[in-house]
Amino acid sequence: MKDEVKIILDICDKILLKNVDHHLRLNLEPNSTQFKTLKDEIISSELTKLLVKEDLGGAGMTLNDIIPIVQLSAQYGTPIPFIETIISNFLLSELNIKPENDFITLTNKTENIIIKKDKISGNFKSIPYLNLAEKILVETEIKNQKYIILFKKGGKLKLQKNFLSEPKFDLDAAELEIISMMEKPEQMDIQNLLINVRSIQSFGAMEKILKLCIEYCSQRKQFGRTLSKFQMIQNHISEIALEVAASGASLSTLKNNNKNFYNLKNTAIPKIRTGIASGKVIALSHQVHGAMGFTKEYELSYFTKALNSWRNEFGNEIYWQNILGKLFLNQNKNLWEFLNH
Amino acid sequence: MTYFNFPHIEEDDNLKNLRNDVKSFLKTTFNSNNIKPQADAWMYSANPEFSKKLGEKGWLGMSFPKKYGGREKTMLERYVITEELLVAGAPVAAHWIADRQSGSQIIRYGTEKQKKEIIPKISSGECFFAIGMSEPDSGSDLASVKTFAKKTADGWELTGRKIWSTGAHLSHYMIVLARTEKLDEKNRHSGLSQFLVNLKLPGVEINPIEDMTHQKHFNETVFNNVKLNKDALLGEEGMGWQQVVGELALERSGPERFLSHYILLDNFISEFRYKMSEMGITSLGKIISELQTLRMMSFSIAWMIQEKKSPDVQAAFVKEAGNVFEKKLIETIREMSNLIPFEEWSSSLKSLFQDATLRIPANSLRGGTSEIMRGIISKQLGLR
Repeated sequence: MKDEVKIILDICDKILLKNVDHHLRLNLEPNSTQFKTLKDEIISSELTKLLVKEDLGGAGMTLNDIIPIVQLSAQYGTPIPFIETIISNFLLSELNIKPENDFITLTNKTENIIIKKDKISGNFKSIPYLNLAEKILVETEIKNQKYIILFKKGGKLKLQKNFLSEPKFDLDAAELEIISMMEKPEQMDIQNLLINVRSIQSFGAMEKILKLCIEYCSQRKQFGRTLSKFQMIQNHISEIALEVAASGASLSTLKNNNKNFYNLKNTAIPKIRTGIASGKVIALSHQVHGAMGFTKEYELSYFTKALNSWRNEFGNEIYWQNILGKLFLNQNKNLWEFLNH
Repeated sequence: MTYFNFPHIEEDDNLKNLRNDVKSFLKTTFNSNNIKPQADAWMYSANPEFSKKLGEKGWLGMSFPKKYGGREKTMLERYVITEELLVAGAPVAAHWIADRQSGSQIIRYGTEKQKKEIIPKISSGECFFAIGMSEPDSGSDLASVKTFAKKTADGWELTGRKIWSTGAHLSHYMIVLARTEKLDEKNRHSGLSQFLVNLKLPGVEINPIEDMTHQKHFNETVFNNVKLNKDALLGEEGMGWQQVVGELALERSGPERFLSHYILLDNFISEFRYKMSEMGITSLGKIISELQTLRMMSFSIAWMIQEKKSPDVQAAFVKEAGNVFEKKLIETIREMSNLIPFEEWSSSLKSLFQDATLRIPANSLRGGTSEIMRGIISKQLGLR
């Protein structure tokens, strides 16, 4: 890991350790002091500009560099549009647009978009943390041309039912003010980018769950022994560890080259592997925690709900298995060639 | 908070070229020698002539120092060659154990004499090894071995029985884990030592054991008061446990833990490529994702070994995840066959499938059972 990444990771760790706890997750209000303090610290430390080019005032880091930061944020269960803002600012930076000093959230699920005199109207779906963001970045298509549009939040937010405590909203927008609008470059695949962010986040959340399982089972006693001494429990936790390790290794497809974040095969492999792992980790971690894990008060459920939310976004692992299977079959290569290229 | 790291290692152009070289060599050699690819070939398919050819190519003993006849190549280069041999179903069983783990143990713990005598022969594909760990009463509980090496004026006298010794009937040596002190129940890992035992010595008896597939690849090896010279001791007296743990990491982390039946998958795809249902295609996508992840884990461990790290626990992950993968693979292939009855498959595919189905129970037993792997992981997590 580069030294600059270690430094950033350390800064991020200190801010999240100080400000993020289960109380924040359960009482997430835009006007709460706890949220405002966390937001101020993140914005003022410029953590949302890590991927922004240096000449636009950012840190000039690469997608690869921020993998451990996305992972850390997920380990903390950070319930704010922190990563969404990092990615939005990255996309703006790629279009040579200056980053924002606010929280931005983003979506590529849009319908009925109308642009008229620097105003945008339309329906926007599944926008995470829209209640906590000031601006929205969308990828949308108008007359066969794809655009990236940044606009100010407004209109009525409709809270969606979602697995996670992470709020997701639909928005019916009428004539909201556009801040920037650019044609989307061909190579910029926002969906793959967002999927990969979710795969990294899933890995981070599973690491946290493994930690919770170890801590809980090392403390709680039944039949005169700590739970960790029961072979069945050890078996469950070692299986969780195995799934976590495999998930982490599957992210290898993204490393080394930033273009890998846009590549279909490199995206599909961790999306599928972390999705499979998530299913097992959710079931096993609840099993080892007993009824305690089923309560709102104990933090396990926050992370298992997060996994359920992320593994079902952008198509579940079954959907992506089919894509990957077809991608291979359509290339007319033998499997070994496909794996090695 | 990361518990088990598998650093990303990139396959560079040098390694890619090496892959191509191995592929070309295998194509030519298979054709000219009429070699038939086999599944689980590292266990079932021995061909000393083929092993010698690999030695001539410089593809055995790759990481060993040149002064002992090695090639001073990297573990990543060795990894690439190993993968290509496995996916081709090449007959590698004769030299497999010597090249994978015994040679490394000798390089790490052996005397100058042992290294000079044995390593060049391993590198040339002319010296084969068997593993001397399990015993009739000591399977997963390896520390309970009873084979005893008694000190004599001239060296040692070895008495006991080893079991499941794969390829012992073809091998020249066995690295035997034996007690050199009586068992101390409070410190069961002490008093063990490793010995380099020439299997042609008087008193060594090798009895084949037929497995459920009617093959005789593993054996019972009996040591009846076998006289060993002083220099048969490998490494330090009493440090056998510590030495054997490192050997197990080499044994468990390689791609044979998930590519043993690759040839079945490859043949299946060739035959069913245009007959697959949507469900079959979906299952195939899952296999690709899991297989590629396992490769990244195992490749990363090869790098860790190269960097002199101790990836004992990571090796347990690969072993266990690889075993689970291959067991599921057999079932998945059944599901992917798109309602085409088994009787209608080609005879070669049926044969591979039958072999794999019958052999698969051994995957999660050999090299340490699943239960032992999970125990290792639990211990590392502080649960025991």
